[in-house]
Amino acid sequence: MSPRWRRFRRGSGDALILSLTPEEAEFLVLLPVELREVFDGPLDDPAGRRLFPAAYLDPTEEAAETEWKAMVHPDLMRQRLDALAVVAASLERSTRQGDFIELELEPDDVQAWLAVLNDVRLVLGTRLEITEDDGDVAADDPRAAAYGVYAWLTHLQGALIDQLL
Amino acid sequence: MSTAPVEIREPEVGEETTTDTPWIVIVWNDPVNLMNYVVYVFQKLFGYSRKKATRLMRQVHEEGKAVVSDGTREKCEGDVARLHAHGLWATMEHES
Repeated sequence: MSPRWRRFRRGSGDALILSLTPEEAEFLVLLPVELREVFDGPLDDPAGRRLFPAAYLDPTEEAAETEWKAMVHPDLMRQRLDALAVVAASLERSTRQGDFIELELEPDDVQAWLAVLNDVRLVLGTRLEITEDDGDVAADDPRAAAYGVYAWLTHLQGALIDQLL
Repeated sequence: MSTAPVEIREPEVGEETTTDTPWIVIVWNDPVNLMNYVVYVFQKLFGYSRKKATRLMRQVHEEGKAVVSDGTREKCEGDVARLHAHGLWATMEHES
């Protein structure tokens, strides 16, 4: 009897092994590319504003807000770009194991994966105008494919966090 | 005890005095962030116990927001930046 397939399992030391179908791996390779486009863009749409929100809601704190943004935005952007590179590199290192593609993720890789998965979901979720009570989407809804992607990424991120908690 | 003369220093304009109300950091609910992710981030960033992190997450989820930390303006600005770095929606304001 073959062992049950698991999305994540422990590797050697602190490593986590992520198991993907070849199609899933092919799809994930696109994520850093797509996110990079968002980060390089004007960031003045709802997705951009959700990725880089304000710190102060009080309009009388406009000066503090401007100062804070100038101070933290470069670092926040740098961290996001670094995470894209780490995820892309881990996918490049992946190996074929039978029917599956496996990635060995060290703790730093895991943090990058969390960031990228969450960022993609923030962008997609904002663009799809996801709400708390989003139920099933009709198959003929033109956004059905995007919802499917969002749901799958949600599953993947949730499964990853379960390994860490 | 010596009674050397004490120099009184007047606070400069714009400088926070000890009577300034502290700042608080609020995390707002949003439909994208996973509940277990929010718990994880609170534990990671603030060292909260699983129990406290879960309680705060539930408050965000059920009440729409929760105060997750407080302190000086500088400290809270740092906390907000770290929360944003993890994709959470956080803001700061004066404690009322």
